[in-house]
Amino acid sequence: MLLTVLAVTSLFVGKYPLSLDRLFSGDVYQWRIFLTLRLSRTVVGVLGGFTLGVAGFVCQTVFRNPLASPDIIGVSSGASAGAAVGILFLTGAASVTACAFAGALLAMILALGLSSLDRSGKHQTIVLAGIAVHSLAQTALMLLKLTADPEQELAAIEYWIMGSLNGISLYSIGGNLLLSVLCVLALFLLHHQIVLLSAEEGEARMLGVNVTRLRLLTLLVSTLAVSSVVSLTGLISFVGLLAPHVSRMLIKSNKSGTMLLSGLSGGCLLCAADLLARSVAATELPVSIFTSLVGAPFLVALIIRGRRQC
Amino acid sequence: MFFSAQKICAGYSRNQVVHHVSFSLERGCLMGILGANGSGKTTLVKALCGILPHEGTCLLENTELETLTPKQIAKLVSYIPQRSGISIDISALDVVLMGFNPKLKLLEHPTKAMTEAALEALDWVGLGGKEDKNYLHLSEGQKQLCIMARTIVSGSKLLLLDEPESALDFRHRYRMLDMIRSWINSTQGGAVVTLHDPMLALNYCDNLMLLKNGELLDILSPKEDSLEKMGQALSRIYGPVSLQVCRSRSGREILTMLKEDEQ
Repeated sequence: MLLTVLAVTSLFVGKYPLSLDRLFSGDVYQWRIFLTLRLSRTVVGVLGGFTLGVAGFVCQTVFRNPLASPDIIGVSSGASAGAAVGILFLTGAASVTACAFAGALLAMILALGLSSLDRSGKHQTIVLAGIAVHSLAQTALMLLKLTADPEQELAAIEYWIMGSLNGISLYSIGGNLLLSVLCVLALFLLHHQIVLLSAEEGEARMLGVNVTRLRLLTLLVSTLAVSSVVSLTGLISFVGLLAPHVSRMLIKSNKSGTMLLSGLSGGCLLCAADLLARSVAATELPVSIFTSLVGAPFLVALIIRGRRQC
Repeated sequence: MFFSAQKICAGYSRNQVVHHVSFSLERGCLMGILGANGSGKTTLVKALCGILPHEGTCLLENTELETLTPKQIAKLVSYIPQRSGISIDISALDVVLMGFNPKLKLLEHPTKAMTEAALEALDWVGLGGKEDKNYLHLSEGQKQLCIMARTIVSGSKLLLLDEPESALDFRHRYRMLDMIRSWINSTQGGAVVTLHDPMLALNYCDNLMLLKNGELLDILSPKEDSLEKMGQALSRIYGPVSLQVCRSRSGREILTMLKEDEQ
């Protein structure tokens, strides 16, 4: 519900005011803005947020830790480093996206590959490998920043890292969105198995789950989804962490819809943050500012509420 | 022979905890494992169901469990840990439905018939009407009952339980063991249970394995062995104890264990 409202508002709010009757009267200029700017932006907001929310839910379940988020594998920092490479050595927004995606994939493969070196397959290993990859990518990013021209390139890198849904055109996003939609679909099909991973390792095994393989599979799919979103938008903090908590708060009766609701609340969060980002100030603000601005107090509120319930 | 374990050695990395334990279990029997803290009870149970790597072999109805895949083992053997590690919000019904997982393919979801069977199982353990409750909000006793229901629906033949009674109050302990007993009677399977409470063990188990420092001390048959023999064996674990037979008001004989003064 809320998501629909936000999505529709998102279609019509922006630097250039649009109105329904002028759209319907066939104003070409208005249509062009609608199709090239607003629509793609909204689609990315909704789908991207949805993906991040679902991936967050999956990570928190798989790691059996309410503080886990898709970033834990180091995808985000991989994407940042990749984007920096794109900004420094290539031209064009599409190549930056491609580089970011490649960076995210590389980080993911590295982290999961490292973790599978340990045969015991504990989930702590994946977290540790993720942290290692994360700092590695951060170092690479720092090196790249050092070589960047401070006037143009450095600013571009910084701006990319802060995340924004600005300047996304409908034509360049097709592949990424398709990938993320496919991944999210796969995650929904795997939903039953993912829930089983929330049990203790031996227990899950005795329920007929190939724990190590399934965990790798779900993480692979969910980080793939996240990297396809993040490489489009730049880093978006907090959505993946927050969305599952929001959905848990909303869902009282506790049917198995938490995952779906995580996605929906992720979509709402991102859309709302994007709306704020482009309407609060005269210039565009990075969307991560708002996701964090909303996210951090919200998290604190959650903690306090949780205490009271105990 | 229903189930037998031969020369089981198991442990964690280089630290061997269980040494050469062998025993066998007849169809329809309940085997208890007693031992002090750290004597290797949990390790032994985990080795039996293949969660821990181990030496030795486990034979279930002439099938060597070590040669099976985890999924195949899961169809034959159920394991109930001390506490289930379920840590996300999930309904009691969904927890029970997990029991069907070994029969499902990767992308398959439980059928309607499975849901009905799960509801029936919840009813049977006394959690009827609680299927929509959040598992994490159930009491420890109810959680354990819920996991029991999950075990029932899985249709396995051998039940391995790790201190199922440790989190339960006095009444629920007896209820839990009554349930295990009636499960064994109705399925003609077998169960291996580690227990903390020797009184429960003496009154419910057909055979009683005594573990000390990871080694098998003795296997008792509480219905046949003399009180004196059992008392001596148990003293090697718990320090000086003596056994007595009491009668409940209904006239049932109950074995009790009393702590004697340390010398």
